[in-house]
Amino acid sequence: MNRVQSRNLVVVLITLIALLVLFFLLRPESSAPEEEEQVALAINGNTMSPEEVSVTEGTHVNLQITSDHPIEFHVHGYDLEEEVQPGEPVELMFEATTTGRFPIEDHDTEVELGTLIVQPR
Amino acid sequence: MRRFILLTLTLVLLVATPGQALAHGFGQSQNLPLPFWLYLFAAAAVVLVSFVQISLFVTERHALPRYPRLDLLQLGSLRALLSARPFLFGLRLLSVALFVLVILSGILGAQAPSSNFAPTFVWIIWWVGLSFFTAFVGNIWPLVNPWKILFESAEEFARLLGIKRGLYLGAPYPASWGVWPALALYAVFVWVENVFEGSATPLNIALFALLYSMFTWSNMYFFGKETWLRRGEAFSVYFGVLAKFAPTEVRVSAPETCQDCGACRTAEQATKGACVNCYECFARATPEDRQLNLRPPAVGLTLTEQVTPDRMVFVVFLLASVTYDSLLGTPPWVELQTLTALPQTLGLIVVPLVFLGVYVGFVKLSQLFSEGYVTFGQLAAAYVYSLAPIAIAYLVAHYYTLLLVQGQAIIALLSDPFGWGWDLFGTADYTINPGLIGADSVWYSQVALIVAGHVVAVYLAHVASLRLVPSPRLQNRMQYPMLALMILYTVFSLWILSQPIVEKRNNETMPAETVSQPEPAEDADQFDQNLRQPPMPKPPTPSAP
Repeated sequence: MNRVQSRNLVVVLITLIALLVLFFLLRPESSAPEEEEQVALAINGNTMSPEEVSVTEGTHVNLQITSDHPIEFHVHGYDLEEEVQPGEPVELMFEATTTGRFPIEDHDTEVELGTLIVQPR
Repeated sequence: MRRFILLTLTLVLLVATPGQALAHGFGQSQNLPLPFWLYLFAAAAVVLVSFVQISLFVTERHALPRYPRLDLLQLGSLRALLSARPFLFGLRLLSVALFVLVILSGILGAQAPSSNFAPTFVWIIWWVGLSFFTAFVGNIWPLVNPWKILFESAEEFARLLGIKRGLYLGAPYPASWGVWPALALYAVFVWVENVFEGSATPLNIALFALLYSMFTWSNMYFFGKETWLRRGEAFSVYFGVLAKFAPTEVRVSAPETCQDCGACRTAEQATKGACVNCYECFARATPEDRQLNLRPPAVGLTLTEQVTPDRMVFVVFLLASVTYDSLLGTPPWVELQTLTALPQTLGLIVVPLVFLGVYVGFVKLSQLFSEGYVTFGQLAAAYVYSLAPIAIAYLVAHYYTLLLVQGQAIIALLSDPFGWGWDLFGTADYTINPGLIGADSVWYSQVALIVAGHVVAVYLAHVASLRLVPSPRLQNRMQYPMLALMILYTVFSLWILSQPIVEKRNNETMPAETVSQPEPAEDADQFDQNLRQPPMPKPPTPSAP
């Protein structure tokens, strides 16, 4: 290895170290998940409120669903399914183990109601 | 640090309105947008790495790439497999069978996109999967292209019937058309994928496939099969560009074979006597002259000496279309669209034109830096392929989870392609495992991919500069505008990945607004007022009474 090459190697190494340091400086500390999170979901027509349910990975989620018409409440990915009748609130509990965006829909009509967002810790 | 986190959270809490029009034609990715801190890190990394790279180039001149090659056909067992007729015939038969299955399931099958074979196969397995395969393994499209195979079969049949010159009308292909027909067809395809609302409907897929078949076959008949595959068959041209990145190439070692090949002798393939990735010559060559080489990835992008303007525009359009898909879902785009009420289709014309304009601008700048040593045309042609790695890295970063997660649906669909409740292979009950890769691993891999693509692109631009001018001083100067363009393009890709996804509802786009997480009870009240007015306007922010 000649002088230029070894100098270049040093430059590359310093760059990599600088990037690593920058990465760990910027990375936020992982947030502890809420033990349990209750979210009330109201479905009116083709809309759900709130339209987004955002939780942290590992949270025990407790959805309380009400609807103004009978629907087949379905969360993609998690493959949760629950029949909801008007006037009869339904409780749906699950562990948010998988991170990502998951559409929530009425499985009967395939109408999308909203999104479940599970953020990594 | 905390401010970054807060900013990220506010970004994430943007109200996304769900809808019927799905991102990427069919199948929604479950990717979360890059957190803001990671976006900042990646952008900083791109800038830092770029300048380190440039400083290395100054001290170490890379020789023009005479890259190492390993001929896979020299390896006994591989040669036996790859040239075995039953193997090749099986591959082609499989391809035609899948093509027929797409059309049959599209027409006859259940029309819900998720219970029909056609949408998942076409949009995820073939379009995304084969693009990845072509860029990272090699181009098998010339071998398995069903339109080509079926046309060849028809030609053989015609010969049996005594039609000597096969199915070819002998119409001369106008030279000025270049690859414009392929570009136009590719543009239509991208429109169907991203703009057309019914792109996930099985019947539409079958109809489009049939329409495209008719068009392709009649043009093959008019202008000749090879001519049309080279100039007009959108996917052949598209995969041909990706194949330049691939770590494999086909090469014909006997120059005589390529002597009178229309494809090699035209500008595109004039790579100093070497006949690389010319599938016509490869098919014509005697087995001893054929090489299937393993080579370092991306070196194929440095091969091109001359790129005609039509091809340059095709490549720029390809770069733009990769970005366009996800640009559609970003809040600023949706907002712009709501403000201007312009149709999505216009975006498909405007975005590539903006890309072309920016590219041309930076090339012009580079030409000024070269003190007139090279012409604008030479530079524009020389640099265009060096941008491809950024687009390929973005393509993979954006779609690989879709392929790995939503692509799993094909396992069940193979058993029940029509959605009729069949279970041919006992896999009909397979359910997708969404937890294959965690969102944070996805983020880090996306950033790593995009930074790597950028590094490769900067290197390729450097090689292009070396080839164009002899003076080291000019080489260095010329690189700067391209470096700036690449940083711009890469950071733009990262920015798109960091944007919250906004979807459309009932064909009507929604403006995106930042809101804090609404109190469910309060929100429910507002909802009563807005009851049954689909498409619903976004619920007002909680600050409203």
